[in-house]
Amino acid sequence: MKFIKTHLSLIFPLMAILLGLEFFIVFDRTTESFEKSLKNGYTMMVVAKNEMSIDDFRSWDKHVLKVEEIKKSKILNSVNIDLEKDKGENLEHSLPNFYSIKLNKYLSISELAEVKSNLKKSEDITRIETFNSVYQSQYELFSFIKFSFNTFIVFMTIIGFFLILKQMEVWNFLHAQRMKVMEIFGASLFLRSKVLINLSVVDAILSAIITSGVFFVIQNMWIRDTHMSILKENVESVFYLSDFFILLFASISIVLVAVFLVVINVKEEE
Amino acid sequence: MSENVITAKNLTLAYDSTEKIINNATFEIKKGDFVFITGPSGSGKSTLLKAFYGNLKPQDGQLNIGGLDMTNIIKHKLQELRTHLGIVFQDYKLINEWTVEKNVVLPLWIAGYSAEVQSSQAKRLLHHVKLTGKEEKYPLELSGGEQQRVGVARAMAKNPFLILADEPTGNLDEYSSNVIWDLMENACQQLDTTIVVVTHRIPMMFNIPYRHFSIDAGGNIREVH
Repeated sequence: MKFIKTHLSLIFPLMAILLGLEFFIVFDRTTESFEKSLKNGYTMMVVAKNEMSIDDFRSWDKHVLKVEEIKKSKILNSVNIDLEKDKGENLEHSLPNFYSIKLNKYLSISELAEVKSNLKKSEDITRIETFNSVYQSQYELFSFIKFSFNTFIVFMTIIGFFLILKQMEVWNFLHAQRMKVMEIFGASLFLRSKVLINLSVVDAILSAIITSGVFFVIQNMWIRDTHMSILKENVESVFYLSDFFILLFASISIVLVAVFLVVINVKEEE
Repeated sequence: MSENVITAKNLTLAYDSTEKIINNATFEIKKGDFVFITGPSGSGKSTLLKAFYGNLKPQDGQLNIGGLDMTNIIKHKLQELRTHLGIVFQDYKLINEWTVEKNVVLPLWIAGYSAEVQSSQAKRLLHHVKLTGKEEKYPLELSGGEQQRVGVARAMAKNPFLILADEPTGNLDEYSSNVIWDLMENACQQLDTTIVVVTHRIPMMFNIPYRHFSIDAGGNIREVH
């Protein structure tokens, strides 16, 4: 019982930190493609009196990345007007030019407004549709979720660190006497801290294995049954084998720093 | 190593600059000497012993232990020196979460001896201190006298050139005290180990020649002939 308690008191705070770290890695990885598609999927529509090339657009605003002309016939088809061939050709001829524009990066709403006003300076452009509301609501919701999640992770990590500090005080109490005796008999710093290092490295390895196991289960059991498309599409990104080594490295680093702080704080008895 | 195991010249010890504990002491302790240091409580007997194992640096004068100048000794030299010392404390200073055997072989473990050597040495020493069969016990399962015998066995584990003992029989029964004095006499006679014992009184039945230093309340040391 004492053995389990000794280990759990370090494994729990370590796991809190490792879960936070892994959630951060996974969240960043799985949402990266979603974020990209949000940005890449965005286009603005421009109506121009005369034909315009990409260079014409770029001369008004440098954020223009790609310009695609929307065929007039496609527009007529979409509005589904049934006209005789001659009249149809005349109507098509009289229609202005429609362009779909992609931007080189994700812009804020104010930046979008600036692009719009720049393009409007052109006398050829008669109308611009930026689809502000859809763009903004989708991206802001996504950003808010990401921010909330990251805040939660930071909070969890801070709690984990405080629990480890508490554990260090317990270690100090439990191991100080032994380390002092060993120092009197000439043990080196490494030998004095060997017991503590062994104990904490075992806990660090266990924490990394358990945390990896949690994500492995999430990946292979929970996500495959879920209806959240963002997760389903990125199921392979939820856990990589390399994550285990990242977690292991992080947990061992944390415990070694903790052990070192305990050892250097143990003063020889006067 | 010089013939003098301990050399003090105008040695002054103090915990702070205002009060001197040991005052301007000069003495020599040779290889194979058995030395008792006596004096009233608070006279600085234990403080002197601490200076011998490097737990307190001299405030003034010189102190040389086993050829090393303790006034300017560097950390790793001190560590090295301590692996050649045997120290016995009045409060035993055993590691309570370790077995008796592991406590006894601590100096051998620190020095990196093999498990076989440690085990055979532990058996031999525990036999000498009359604790055979208690190898797997923990210190807190033993009486005070038995714990101190473990402490003495530990001090002798690596055949040190110098054993420092601070009130080793202070609170012990007669049997344990006798076992400890016998062991120390044997170490001194057979192994030529230098032994320095801080005590309130010298045992009545002591079978080998010894030297006696007395410290007065002012921290002055003199040899009693």
